Amino acid sequence: MITKLVSKRVATFAALAALAPLSLAACGGGSSGSSGGDASATVDTLKVLDYYTDEPGKTQIGDMLTACGTSIGVGTIEREAVPGPTLIQKVLQQASSKSLPDVLMLDNPDIQQIADTGALAPLGDFGITADGYAPGPVAAATGADGKLYGLQPGANTIAIFYRKDVLEKAGVTPPTTWAELRTAAKKLTVGKQYGFAFNATADYEGAWQFLPAMWSNGGDETDLKTPQVAGALQLWKDLVDDGSASKSVVNWKQSDVNDQFIAGNAAMMLNGPWQEPALDKAKVDYGVVPFPVDQAGQASVAPLGGEAWTVPMTGDQAKMAKAAELVKCMNTDANQLLRAKQGGLVPTKLALADQFKTEVPKMAGFTDAVAQARARTGKLGAKWPDTAKIIYTGVQLVLTGQAAPADAMAKAGG
Amino acid sequence: MSDTKTLAPAPPRDAPAPRPPTARRSGSRRLEEITKILFVVPAGLAIVALFGYPVVKNVVMGFQDYGLKTFFTGKAPFVGLSNYVAVVSDDVFSKAVVNTALFTLGSILGQFVIGMLLALFFHQSFPLNGVLRALFLLPWLLPLIVGSAAWRAILEQDSGILNVTLQNLGVIDGPVPWLTSPSVALVSVILVNIWLGIPFNLTLLYSGLQAIPDELYEAGALDGATGWRAFWSITWPNLRAVVSVVLMLGVIYTLKVLDIILGLTQGGPANATQTIALQSYQRSFVEFKFGQGAALSNILIVISLAFAIIYLRVNRRQVDE
Amino acid sequence: MSAIVSKGQARHARGPVRTAIAIVLLALLLFPVYWMLNISLQPSGNALSGTFFPTHPSLDGYRAAIADQGGHLVISLVIASGTVVLSLLVAAPCAYALAQFRFRWISWALLAILISQMIPSIVIANALYTAYERIGLLDSIPGLIVVNSASGIPFGILIMRSFMLGVPPSIVEAARVDGAGLVRAFLSIVVPISRNSLITAGLFAFLFAWSDFIYALTLTTKGQVVPVTLGIYTYLGAHIANWSAVMATAVLASLPAIVLLVVAQRYISAGATGGAVK
Repeated sequence: MITKLVSKRVATFAALAALAPLSLAACGGGSSGSSGGDASATVDTLKVLDYYTDEPGKTQIGDMLTACGTSIGVGTIEREAVPGPTLIQKVLQQASSKSLPDVLMLDNPDIQQIADTGALAPLGDFGITADGYAPGPVAAATGADGKLYGLQPGANTIAIFYRKDVLEKAGVTPPTTWAELRTAAKKLTVGKQYGFAFNATADYEGAWQFLPAMWSNGGDETDLKTPQVAGALQLWKDLVDDGSASKSVVNWKQSDVNDQFIAGNAAMMLNGPWQEPALDKAKVDYGVVPFPVDQAGQASVAPLGGEAWTVPMTGDQAKMAKAAELVKCMNTDANQLLRAKQGGLVPTKLALADQFKTEVPKMAGFTDAVAQARARTGKLGAKWPDTAKIIYTGVQLVLTGQAAPADAMAKAGG
Repeated sequence: MSDTKTLAPAPPRDAPAPRPPTARRSGSRRLEEITKILFVVPAGLAIVALFGYPVVKNVVMGFQDYGLKTFFTGKAPFVGLSNYVAVVSDDVFSKAVVNTALFTLGSILGQFVIGMLLALFFHQSFPLNGVLRALFLLPWLLPLIVGSAAWRAILEQDSGILNVTLQNLGVIDGPVPWLTSPSVALVSVILVNIWLGIPFNLTLLYSGLQAIPDELYEAGALDGATGWRAFWSITWPNLRAVVSVVLMLGVIYTLKVLDIILGLTQGGPANATQTIALQSYQRSFVEFKFGQGAALSNILIVISLAFAIIYLRVNRRQVDE
Repeated sequence: MSAIVSKGQARHARGPVRTAIAIVLLALLLFPVYWMLNISLQPSGNALSGTFFPTHPSLDGYRAAIADQGGHLVISLVIASGTVVLSLLVAAPCAYALAQFRFRWISWALLAILISQMIPSIVIANALYTAYERIGLLDSIPGLIVVNSASGIPFGILIMRSFMLGVPPSIVEAARVDGAGLVRAFLSIVVPISRNSLITAGLFAFLFAWSDFIYALTLTTKGQVVPVTLGIYTYLGAHIANWSAVMATAVLASLPAIVLLVVAQRYISAGATGGAVK
């Protein structure tokens, strides 16, 4: 999620990027072509594709891949990192020219769509299971056929970031219920500072940001025309109608929201841990709490973010077996912990949670949230994108006054 | 007799124009015909290679179920008109059609009028004319990625410099929701597109003005044609060929504008800035329904084609005159 | 407008006034450019907290931009220049032929050229990718020059043709009587007369190629040939929180093109056509 969400901002500005072509064939040559091959043959190189183009993640992932390569006896890792918004297009190009990489990183909501095409190998074929993993990442990586297609070493989600100094000065405590959120946001709205900022853009990011409210309230993506979903829409509407959140949220990407927060234009925001490097660099004194619930006693349900490693069907059995070993290595306990600390993530193996909370106390809030995090594709699988489109359209209809919360989703095509 | 040919004060233009077979110099006639063909061969090849194939492919794809799976399996079964039915019956389609029309009309009108006024202005001589005119082309040079980012910062509702300035000047009472209100967003997107299109119009129209000989104005002045009368009786008729090209290309280019809208609003808020081009992009590259995306771009090409035919009609009339 | 006619009469008196008006208009139109410049000099790196003037300008953004993007600028320059040459070589003869030769199929040719302008560039990039892969033009500067000419050639034909319609056949005929072949007449008579339109077409070909992003993105795969637009794109991903560096790159990317524009405009304002026709 990290890189992807960050670079989704890029996608907006560099819109054309995502226009990447259909029939584009491979990059990097066909070292892993569909030549079949003997499962016992030695493997010298593995091709890896991911979207960690930003430092320090780029180097960190590269180092981890190299170390894993060494540990499984593969001398060379030919790694390529492309900007997040272009990853799927790249995969399509490579698929059509039969030059998929040996190991492919995918954002978790994309796994099922790609697996559905038959491009990925079930990890069970290589004896890999996801026992002991949090349910979210497993659901995201499990295809319609019930097979596991990816292993996700770290997860993240979104939560409320608040400026400690601002809240303290205003005598406001971080909200735990929607009512508190509204009151706090209203109280914190002073001058050019809004109490709260979130993202409600006309894209998947806008849908993703709506999920904590929708799910915590008991709403469900399989039926959007419920009072629970309408209630969540009402919250978004109230925050904007109160003047506690800018009307501009319909045009703010998560990175814009972060810019607003850094610039002091928002006292609280809904965002993810991937923004922390920027916040630390700008020396913002912030705290993080889970997204509030409507009524005390409800459970705050966070959407699952993060990337998984998969093994594409290249046809070269020996390489695919080695690739599976590499995926496994990226998910060892040690590497999960290392990656989590590096990338503002939470290990997905539940057994690591306590150790992680002790070592990184500031991630404690996220750690609990991720254990319960819900995958976007958990229920709908490859059909999630169609629903996400309805969700973000519905949110926009409500926030722009084109529809009432009760019938917005119906009007959006739900 | 109103196209730029009238510029030539010299002999009747028909006289020397190379004619079909019966004309002079029969010996080298054949060779000359071949040479003439050779003038257009490279361009012909380029157009077939760079455009012919893609068009054919796109037309075919519009009749196929071309989705994510196609890339992995290579299979894209033909599905008749169902892609077209799917995209046209979508609720957003009619909105996208209307928006496309408004966007194109508004952009072209604004770009052309401002570009024309600027061209006329720069057609006068004054110090630094060339340098200043060159600088007017700057919007063109900005990478769109960055240009739209800058515009988003400027049009930001609360802290954007445009609203802040207008409020300080007392022009508006409250902030204008440039990109966040469905009723304003389309206008904002059009304004940004006009901004981008001015250099194109200015450059071409200015070059066209330069090609009109001063003698025509001097002669006109003797007949009392000055000011606006000179513009309508001399400038406009002589500029017509250039004007029609500028308008024609402007329409074609504006119809397929995508990046600006994506960069500014992504079609939002609440689909207020959806256009056919944007729909096509989203079907193909966000939803990966490439067949439907192709269907939409084919619809767009047909609309452009209608304008092209109008242009050619007008143009041919001029040639025939 | 009156000035068009009175050209030459009140020239000296009104000159400076007009220059002043032009500067005001320019300032209005280029405000977004100023804003970029402003952000690029803001020390905070945040596009929102900036002030109207960079009161405490910082060159950090530029330092980062030059270090990271210098080479990409050179590549863009080579590609854009190559595109100009190729586009003009192919388009100019065709434009002349379509303007002056009485081919029966001219309408069809024009229609084809117009249709070519309607094709979204992504459709072209799609189709060319596989062909490029086969003939080895992927990841190459010549490959990008050829595909960028896809914008420059048809556009150039249309523009130059509309100007060449105004070339009096009598001039060419005179040369032909003196024994010049079609090609020589074209090169020695038509090209010089049409210099304005050639420069205009060339200028646009340059701008098309210079601002191209989609072909660069799709027809390069290995990161060896990276024009500056693509450089900015990946840069945005990595430096999203640092708008100063991003805007500084954009400003730098505009500089070579500005120089070229100023130079080319001199030629255009020289008014070569008018002179030759007279």
